[in-house]
Amino acid sequence: MDLGTITKIWDSILQMSAPHPLICLFFFPGGLFLILAALLYEWADRKLVARFQNRVGPRVFQPVADMLKLLVKEEVIPKSVNRSLFIVLPIISFACVMTASLYVPMFGVEAPIGLHGDLIITMYLLSVMTMCLGMAGANSMNRFAVVGATRTFTQLFAYEAPFMLALLMPAISAQSWNINVISEYASAHTWMIATIPIGFIISVIGLMGKLELAPFDAPEAESEIVSGALSEYSGRGWGLFRIAKDVELVIGISLIVTFYLGGFGNLVSFLLKSLGLLIIIALLQSSMTRLRIDQTVGFWWQAGAILSLIQLMILILVRIL
Amino acid sequence: MNKTIDLSDIDPNAKGSEKTIENRIRNWARINSPWAIHYNSGSCNGCDIELLTLITPRYDVERFGVKLQGSPRHADILIVTGSVTLQSKDRLIRIYNQMPEPKFVLGLGSCAISGGVFQNCYSVVQGGVSNVIPVDVFVPGCPPRPEAMINGLIILLDIARGKRQKSDYSQPMIIPSPEQDSAQAADKKESEAE
Repeated sequence: MDLGTITKIWDSILQMSAPHPLICLFFFPGGLFLILAALLYEWADRKLVARFQNRVGPRVFQPVADMLKLLVKEEVIPKSVNRSLFIVLPIISFACVMTASLYVPMFGVEAPIGLHGDLIITMYLLSVMTMCLGMAGANSMNRFAVVGATRTFTQLFAYEAPFMLALLMPAISAQSWNINVISEYASAHTWMIATIPIGFIISVIGLMGKLELAPFDAPEAESEIVSGALSEYSGRGWGLFRIAKDVELVIGISLIVTFYLGGFGNLVSFLLKSLGLLIIIALLQSSMTRLRIDQTVGFWWQAGAILSLIQLMILILVRIL
Repeated sequence: MNKTIDLSDIDPNAKGSEKTIENRIRNWARINSPWAIHYNSGSCNGCDIELLTLITPRYDVERFGVKLQGSPRHADILIVTGSVTLQSKDRLIRIYNQMPEPKFVLGLGSCAISGGVFQNCYSVVQGGVSNVIPVDVFVPGCPPRPEAMINGLIILLDIARGKRQKSDYSQPMIIPSPEQDSAQAADKKESEAE
């Protein structure tokens, strides 16, 4: 069976019946399916990094085992923290990314909810997740966690503006704030990676900053500040934050694929494109060392912001002329 | 007469011993993702350098799910190297207490077993790590070969699986440290002053 037939079967399954909203929310494309996909993406990322480092790497079910173990492990709540905040923050961050996933077309399926301006909602929900991370660190009353939280917030202010601008450029070309409309525009025209190359590069690197991956992992630098903002979290809370980050990876990759690599397309093309993006991300992760926090900020404001502003100017000039 | 003894009657914490599906999934997850934290309690760095070979391409232990973590809160296995010096004794106890249950301890090298060449030294706890915290598995060697460390890890996972016995396996165990007591006393004083 070649890929074409699989795609056809997949499409026919999707067109058979419009799913009930609750099924959308809990099983597909949100909820359970998204969590499993996120764990698979985490495995792919770890495996690719391991292969680039000439290691064997983790087994396929590794992230599932990690997650189950964390969920059944004892959760230590330190005495000095604000107890309710300590418990609620991981849940809020998890809820935010799961909500954000409802607005993003993924795995060859159009987004279940399409609003006018859902691009802004998605980006803000993803930022709320990072804010939760920082607040969790600041709430932990641990000196390492507080340093990690400071770095998380500093990094947020560094990458957020260029990353947002990079995601707004396709919106400006498509003249819409609706992710579904932008993806239709992207599939009808030339891939935007060709027309907005700087935006693509900035969005990929911005995603790595958002996920605190290798060159931008100063907020959770093991060798300096234990584990950053989440040093005091154990068991369920830490597990929820981890799932939230994995889901954020899926959402970020879906957004970049949809905007810059020619629409959401079908399942096979989506998986291939996201695998390509994962390979780029893993390659950058394994080939670069950690930047200091001031270097991160300098990089984003000296190179990232200015480059994205130049790209934005070009885009607006082209539209006007 | 019914001779079988229900473990949960004796010890309410011994839930992991029943063979329900829930417990099987729990045990499977624990055995397949043992995250470790490494603590150097006054070793000569030989064991530590050898330990780091475990995460290099040749002996890559990520294929068993072992990851080195930075925070004791995230770890399942505490890997202790070195004979415990009096300086690091309190820290070792504190790190052990900070780890969430279930937790295991792996003593690495001759020093962890008996004090090694530092035996009878004025600044060292006599008798190795097991006089400070309960140790599940010791790996001998000065330093041990990476293969021996992997073997030790697998024996540790056997204990977690229930194939080998450890008496207080499912109970949280808090060892009172002198520092903690004094901190509590200071807290009390403060609250009284307020």
